[in-house]
Amino acid sequence: MSLEPQPPLPAAAEAEPQAGRIAVPVWLIVLLFLLLYWGMVYFDQHSGWFDPQVYAPYRSGAELALYQPPTGGPDLARGKVVFENVCGLCHGNDGAGKPGQAPPFIGSEWALGNPNHMIRIPLAGLAGPVEVKGQQYNLAMPAMGAALPDDDLAAVLTYIRQSWGNKASAITPAQVKAVRAEVGSRTQPWTADQLKAIQ
Amino acid sequence: MNYGPLVFLAAFFALATSWCGFVLTPQLQIGRLPQAHTVGGAASTYPVARPGLAQQGMEVYRANGCAACHSQQVGQTGTVLEIALTEAGTNQPATIAALLTLAEGSTDHAPALSLLAPVPSAPSNSTNATILAGLPRAFLRSSTREAANAAIKTLDATSAKAQLWIVPVGPDLARGWGERRSVAEDYLFDRTVMPGSQRVGPDLANLGARLPDANWHLRHLYAPRLEVKGSVMPPYRFLFEKRKIKDRQSPEALALPGDLAPGDGYEIVPTQAAQALVAYLTDLHADAPLFNAPMTRPATAEATTSTNAPAAPGTASTNAAPTHAAAP
Amino acid sequence: MSESSSPLEPSAASAGGPACCPIAPAEIDASCRLPLVVIFLCAAVWLVLGSAFELVASLKFHAPGFLADAAWLTYGRVRPAATNCLLYGFCMPAGLGVALWLLARLGRTRLAGPGLAAIGAGCWNLGVAAGVGGILAGGSTGFENLEMPSYAARLVFLGYLMIVVWAVLTFHHRRERRLFVSQWFLFVALFWFPWIGSTADLLLLTFRVRGIAQAVIAWWYTDNLLVVWLGLVGLGAVFYFVPKLTGRELQSRYLALLTFWMLILFGSWGGIPASAPVPAWLPVSSAVATGLGVVGVVAVALNVYGTLDGQCSKLMSHPSLQFIGFGVVAFVIGGLMSAAGALSEVSHVTQFTWFTVARGLVNSYGFFVMVMFGAIYYIVPQLVGLEFPSAKLVRAHFWTAAAGSLLVVVPLAAGGIVQGFKLQDANIPFSDVAHSTLPFLRASTTGDLLIALGHLMFLGNLAGLVVRYYRARAVSAWAAATAEIKPAEVSP
Repeated sequence: MSLEPQPPLPAAAEAEPQAGRIAVPVWLIVLLFLLLYWGMVYFDQHSGWFDPQVYAPYRSGAELALYQPPTGGPDLARGKVVFENVCGLCHGNDGAGKPGQAPPFIGSEWALGNPNHMIRIPLAGLAGPVEVKGQQYNLAMPAMGAALPDDDLAAVLTYIRQSWGNKASAITPAQVKAVRAEVGSRTQPWTADQLKAIQ
Repeated sequence: MNYGPLVFLAAFFALATSWCGFVLTPQLQIGRLPQAHTVGGAASTYPVARPGLAQQGMEVYRANGCAACHSQQVGQTGTVLEIALTEAGTNQPATIAALLTLAEGSTDHAPALSLLAPVPSAPSNSTNATILAGLPRAFLRSSTREAANAAIKTLDATSAKAQLWIVPVGPDLARGWGERRSVAEDYLFDRTVMPGSQRVGPDLANLGARLPDANWHLRHLYAPRLEVKGSVMPPYRFLFEKRKIKDRQSPEALALPGDLAPGDGYEIVPTQAAQALVAYLTDLHADAPLFNAPMTRPATAEATTSTNAPAAPGTASTNAAPTHAAAP
Repeated sequence: MSESSSPLEPSAASAGGPACCPIAPAEIDASCRLPLVVIFLCAAVWLVLGSAFELVASLKFHAPGFLADAAWLTYGRVRPAATNCLLYGFCMPAGLGVALWLLARLGRTRLAGPGLAAIGAGCWNLGVAAGVGGILAGGSTGFENLEMPSYAARLVFLGYLMIVVWAVLTFHHRRERRLFVSQWFLFVALFWFPWIGSTADLLLLTFRVRGIAQAVIAWWYTDNLLVVWLGLVGLGAVFYFVPKLTGRELQSRYLALLTFWMLILFGSWGGIPASAPVPAWLPVSSAVATGLGVVGVVAVALNVYGTLDGQCSKLMSHPSLQFIGFGVVAFVIGGLMSAAGALSEVSHVTQFTWFTVARGLVNSYGFFVMVMFGAIYYIVPQLVGLEFPSAKLVRAHFWTAAAGSLLVVVPLAAGGIVQGFKLQDANIPFSDVAHSTLPFLRASTTGDLLIALGHLMFLGNLAGLVVRYYRARAVSAWAAATAEIKPAEVSP
């Protein structure tokens, strides 16, 4: 290489630096472990342990559950929609029943009575003679509610029990779920006597 | 000994752990979210996809770097449980008495209830007058769920109807920037998620709820100081065009006051980009109650006309009490 | 020109120890000259351009209507253009150039493939030009620190690979098999960016992930680039130059090892802001990792202080050391600012304010850019064998850059804190909050001006030196070509 002036390099330029072997000060290690401990505690308290539903300021799934809005009372609007799509065809949208097709709901002792009976009827159907408001009916009701989810069935039964002047207790999805578990996969329609035997 | 491969392995291991933690796991947890269902009240799916013009507006937002000044993420520092009355009932003095008793902490649970505002006192000889007005309104604040439930039972027994309200609180929410914190579901259908990291300008997460007027936005984009006094936002006049009025003024022309108005015979009309951007801005919402961001929406939401100003004086405007003084 | 007549080519003598045919540092520098001159000169140009854009952005806070009618100069385009010019135009190429030189020198071997590395640098600069132009034209991707449109990002990535492959080969063919501290940092940095860059490209630009996962990946990428990559290269340079220029040995290999592990293990987990609309475990993990990072920062401070043996005045002895000393102090301050930000009480106030910008600038400009200045001011004279045209300008650059950085960072940090406290109080209308930050922003414009001036000095000095060298070479080549040919003596 034919360059002119030599660069005025310091004498140490030829030597590359070396690293000494002084030990890491103990207090730094102690600091590291203290910070690790702080980190673990902080993570435990604030992270919700990787729960994808937990966002700050909530600190755990349990805390999040405490702040859920109340599920509210029976949803009569929803029950009405389900009723008119499923039950009203035979029982009438006004709940008055249709002679030769289905008994009425207004003032019916079956509708207003034991919820355990009321829930079972749509789950498996009702066949054979049954007395409603002093009148005898001998029809066959299919299991119209078997395919409905718990929420919808509870809503429609509550709607029946609290409409057209009926005043009875609401039926909750939890009750429907419990009865469904007891009934299992029964396909044989109930008879009035079988139902009366159930408490 | 050749330490080269060891160094490489160290780096590989370190980066692999953070890749698993911050790329893989978030993708598994929040990158494949389906639509969520709202909680409380009638269930609806959330979010809904933006209309086409708003999606185009998002591209305008991205191209002009609006995220350099505006954030789109609202925060929340806490949640409070409030007990509200929805119906005053037929025996108001009894209800008032129950409220006062509850507030004095005479329940079995720890004194967790506090009055939000002074309760009007019942005149001694009237039982039918409307003393409890402005319902639905929150009267008590509870710090535990059990105390709240017990209080509601007590109030229900006095023929009034009480409700539990879940109210998120925080400085952002107190400013009216939102009703609850932003969560992953709010960004589900955005092609480019721009949560922003600076608040040179106000947060925009819930802009469509607090400023739904498209014309306000158009005027604000053209001349920010027209709508917000002392604003530092630059004017976006290049999103508009000045053109000669043909037969009559076009319906989209901006109504501008004296010194900003174009000369005689000219009008300022927003371009397609401006229309799209405004459609996007008015479509920004983050106000549905979700499982991971629970809140109770009051019975009827009052349309607010305030802009970036805090809540009007007279309503609670500290960080503690949220602005839920909605009229029925 | 790198072909030497030595019988021992580096590739054939990988088993040879340093004892056989050691390569002189001057030869190593000569092999690095072409790619590094290209890299550093282009980086200086981007630096000047970036500070010009930053000035335009800063002036908009004095008069919002300043240049507002030009769509390509709107704040939302010119600010990302400025940060991309700084980050991808200067920081990364300068870091790569310094890494190339350090790996060659520390390995006591010539740089492999210098011509191809220079082509890689050209590809890189093409990518950055396309990227900045794309941002100004409205093609920004919307992701912070990754605003370059996809076509430019891929060009930049390709340029990176083209440069880094030669760095890896240089490391592989090193003659000095014992690794110095800096080599761990630099070698790891070479591989770090391809992983984070390809992840960001694939998941954000090519097959875009859905929803807020985009933001999480963007935050991960930003943190790994700005904290880890810049930290690795910057610290690699610091741990080389401080001992080298003071003539002492680096105090503790083990402290450096601790720093290394803390940076790569915990540094890569930072980045998710506390306010993020993501499940709580993400920002909490980031906060914990950032808090732990303070150990690495303290280790660096101890190491450098120990190397200087407590005599910090040694830092003023050499112009490069001034820059590097400033960089170390900024690294420590930035690390402490970040660790403080890990506490939720602090982050509640500082989030979304100018304080976070100031903290980023302390790390990227105050630490990395200043260390790069120091390194370049040392390396380039070694490469060309000449001194800078004006040594006074080098010192002036230091004082301008130091004053400028302080005048940018301190007002922004203070303004951010004021802004943060006011944002917490919902009674203060937002326009009042914005107004209260204006005096601080306007004060920081003076800092931007000084920094821009410093960059002009840097570019002028560097360009002057390079021109001087190549002119001298051209002159001597011309003289050799046109020299009188003396007829040889012929003996009868």
